[in-house]
Amino acid sequence: MSAEPILRLRGVGRRFGGLHAVRAVDLDVAPGERRAILGPNGAGKTTLFNVIAGDLPPSSGHVELFGGDVTLLPARRRATLGLARTYQQSRLFLGLSVEDNIYLAIRGVSGGRLRPVILPGDRELRRRARQAAGRAAIDGKLPELVGSLSHGEHRQVALAMALATEPTVLMLDEPASGLSRGERQLLTELLLALDPAITLLLIEHDMDIALAVAERVTMMHDGRVIVEGTPAEIRANELVHELYLGSRYTDE
Amino acid sequence: MSGARSAKTLVERAIGLAVLVVAAIGPVLFSDYWVNTILTQTFLLGIAAASLIFLSAYGGMVSLAQTALYGIAGFAVGNMVTQGETKGLNLGWDPTLSLVLAIALTTALGLLFGLVASRSAGIYFLMITLTFAVIGNYFFGQVTLVSGFSGISGIDRYTPGFVGDVVAHPNRLYYVALIVALAVYGLIRYVRRAPFGLALQGVRDEPVRMSSLGYNVALHRTLAFGFGAFIASLAGVLYVWWNGQVDPQTIGLQATIDLLVVAVIGGLGRIEGAWLGAFAFILINNYVRGVELPVVGGSFNTIIGLIFLAVVVLSPGGLMGLWERVAQGRLGGRGGGSPRVAADPAGPAPGIGSR
Repeated sequence: MSAEPILRLRGVGRRFGGLHAVRAVDLDVAPGERRAILGPNGAGKTTLFNVIAGDLPPSSGHVELFGGDVTLLPARRRATLGLARTYQQSRLFLGLSVEDNIYLAIRGVSGGRLRPVILPGDRELRRRARQAAGRAAIDGKLPELVGSLSHGEHRQVALAMALATEPTVLMLDEPASGLSRGERQLLTELLLALDPAITLLLIEHDMDIALAVAERVTMMHDGRVIVEGTPAEIRANELVHELYLGSRYTDE
Repeated sequence: MSGARSAKTLVERAIGLAVLVVAAIGPVLFSDYWVNTILTQTFLLGIAAASLIFLSAYGGMVSLAQTALYGIAGFAVGNMVTQGETKGLNLGWDPTLSLVLAIALTTALGLLFGLVASRSAGIYFLMITLTFAVIGNYFFGQVTLVSGFSGISGIDRYTPGFVGDVVAHPNRLYYVALIVALAVYGLIRYVRRAPFGLALQGVRDEPVRMSSLGYNVALHRTLAFGFGAFIASLAGVLYVWWNGQVDPQTIGLQATIDLLVVAVIGGLGRIEGAWLGAFAFILINNYVRGVELPVVGGSFNTIIGLIFLAVVVLSPGGLMGLWERVAQGRLGGRGGGSPRVAADPAGPAPGIGSR
């Protein structure tokens, strides 16, 4: 962690009324790092994602991205800086085709968002959209309306949209949830093959995927960061077993 | 599956072409009454409804302000062209210049309205646009400088050269209205596929996702509202040429609801529904007035209300939705689609209260 962090959180907190979803979180993520954020349901992982992406303002603390303070910057500006994310519920455009969904993702970071005319240059963006669909293995469904696809296919479209923008920082919120075993295998391979320049933040309940992909793991509980370390350290940590792995396996 | 889809597209194109041919030779086929009253009015009312359906189908915004905006354009033209014989400013300006200025003014006001309304959604958006409608109605009713209760009349005497004398040569206004309606239809279909229109549909489906993709959602909604106002203004200008006069009743609550009824009968999900709804509404308005029903009597509002109720209950997608269902049954539908989307390829038709 010698390089200047690409993402730095200092004392970040977020309250919903009396509920402290996130409390005083400090986080440093280096450029190109693969970071998994783990923790039981309600630990504050998604809220932390929302604060980093700018969907929610923090109640306290600062968010720095790409070396600048972005605490007050709206989500759309963070996106054009090179931050892409997916959501737990895929949040896709159900009335549009797969290709149009991915095209909109690329258009969002390419300018010309308000242009009311079609230009020849739009074809290049559509070509990139189809290419991104190929990387997420959803290119067989390009003309289909997203509203008619299955849950697993929604996940693939969401991933294609995130990859299509060629982000510097990619945040994936439970990309494997609801996927079959085979689809999880494909997802793991795809994440391992990701461009090493991309910084990846991953919330994932599937420990096999999270620990296979991540270089460092941040463990959250009750809105706080309780442990941070390598996958091996996390596996060996007793507190982690008690709070997360243990309860998870006894539940099943 | 793609074969079924193209069969439906072919049938739609054939129907569209037939309608176009009939419309093009309308004055030869139909009586003067039909050409001047039924069809010309259908074209211009359809344009106003298209502005509402555009916002609803692609922006997820059901607006009640379209009638007010249409009225603003009409009042603006009336004030600018008349020369002293009626209420209002009687500026006596050139009709073509007035036409351009009225459209520009209405579009600008639409952007201003949109700026206020664009941050709310669903029922709140509906209420804010209803407020605009009420303000518009009272403004022209109370401010005698620009209109007053009795309104502005004799506007049809000051039309641009390409329209001419609408009383002596009504067919010219018919063709002008037809061409504007076709242009509006083509423009909306085009914009829908351009970056602005695609992004607007993204805003309709998932505004939060759109902002995390880099889009300014409020700005997008505002500009869409301005575009809707531009289309409504075209209908307003055609209306005052056709009707010759405009008064606060033209944009009253009744007229506001009538336009919503036109859009819902036609179908809030597809732009073609605008003219289909307008045609149905005007036919009912003209031919059902004399009918006496048992118990409920012969009030136009009762009958249109019953038809409205039947459409909302039986085919929430309006007459266009009905066509979608027929086409699906006869020509084969899309397999595996969710009902919401499969019933409506142009996008989900939001209920009035649902967004």
